[in-house]
Amino acid sequence: MDLAALIIADSRFPGGGHVHSGGIEEAVVRKLVVSERDLPAFLLSRLRTAGALAATFAAAAAHATTREVRSGHWRRLDAEFDARTPSQAQRAASRAQGRGTARAGRVAWPSPALSDLLGECPRPHHPIVLGVLVGVPHDAAMAAAYLAVSGPASAAVRLLGLDPFQVNAVVARLAEPMREVCAHAADVAGHDPATLPAPSSPGLDLFAEAHAAQHEEEVRLFAS
Amino acid sequence: MKAHARLTACFDGSRTVLRELRSMAPLSLVPRRDTGPEAVVHLVNSATAPLGGDNLRLTIQVGAGAVLHVVAVAATLVLPGPHGTPSTSLVELDVADGGSLEYLPGPVIVTAGANHTAELRGDIAGHLHARETLVLGRDGERPGRLTTTQHLTRGPVPLLRQTLTVGDPELDASIAHLAGHRVMATALMIGEASRAPASGRWWSRTALAAGGTLATSLAPDVVTAQARLEAATSA
Repeated sequence: MDLAALIIADSRFPGGGHVHSGGIEEAVVRKLVVSERDLPAFLLSRLRTAGALAATFAAAAAHATTREVRSGHWRRLDAEFDARTPSQAQRAASRAQGRGTARAGRVAWPSPALSDLLGECPRPHHPIVLGVLVGVPHDAAMAAAYLAVSGPASAAVRLLGLDPFQVNAVVARLAEPMREVCAHAADVAGHDPATLPAPSSPGLDLFAEAHAAQHEEEVRLFAS
Repeated sequence: MKAHARLTACFDGSRTVLRELRSMAPLSLVPRRDTGPEAVVHLVNSATAPLGGDNLRLTIQVGAGAVLHVVAVAATLVLPGPHGTPSTSLVELDVADGGSLEYLPGPVIVTAGANHTAELRGDIAGHLHARETLVLGRDGERPGRLTTTQHLTRGPVPLLRQTLTVGDPELDASIAHLAGHRVMATALMIGEASRAPASGRWWSRTALAAGGTLATSLAPDVVTAQARLEAATSA
């Protein structure tokens, strides 16, 4: 795996990902996730829905950097990600992380592709800017899929005081489904953006909207 | 069984007329009379469709100025075929600028052993109000497999693309999918001003990026799901 992918997947990467819980704070508030035992199902379902979507678009964006794409391609990819993200709160969270990642990326990995992306989409979605920075479809998919579960896993440790060793083991056991998700994302990376997979996560969308509404009214630890 | 039913509504200057109305068993389209300037068509599925092996297709076109309501009279039971043969259904909607379609297909109940792929494709330049209800199995029944996809566009602009696969016990119960509920109801409004987000414990309403509003509710039964959806659309 390329160094860029490792840096971006590292929780110390200054892209602002640490303020997002991937819906687990709302699940904790509702007492649907109370212990380490509830984590595998939450993380697996997140991986196979929101994680698969992020991996797909990260791989597609990385693939686009390796070939000549016409002007307007980044806007199309952005619109296709929007259409697969009905929750306004989820779109806002993705763009917030995209912006932080772009800011760090502009300093670390400036490239014509990054300039083109930010020229067309000044506030890019997180998986798309991640894909452009990594530039290798499968590596980009791995970084995006990993972040889709590592963020909520570490948020769960902070929210519930879970045993970090147990939580780490839960994430490690996702290796096989993560390989499947990323292999598929890399397979379709060069397809027309309109035909890319669109795995939905109605439960997470509902939680994201509820979290955003509650976030306005009461103190929450995470932004989403 | 392979069937393709078609319905085309146009505005003739004073009212909506059904220029084409072609039923094909097991999809029956029954127009209601005396509905004023708007047209109402009842969608009647035979009791045993879709069944494994069936490929059903319904095409609805609404021209400029026309107002069409397509309303199912009953729930749809998705049933298994012999030897697990898969079934498919495709609904194509084409609503011209200035046209309006209300599409209420009724609850879809995924019975045990079913293996169905449902797709809704719509090019919506005008107005669309669609309500769908998905039920995982009859009371106390484990659902079969269903992959349901929505592709809605306005010309080249994608509005909503979503695929949900149910029938994997691990995912069905998960928070990402139906969070342990048996019923999901959605209402999609396109072609009117997007409404501000709102949410309750098991419902939410959100504005789509390219215009339109999607309301979603999760519940243990159809009646509760529809009541929560009502809360989401009227809040």
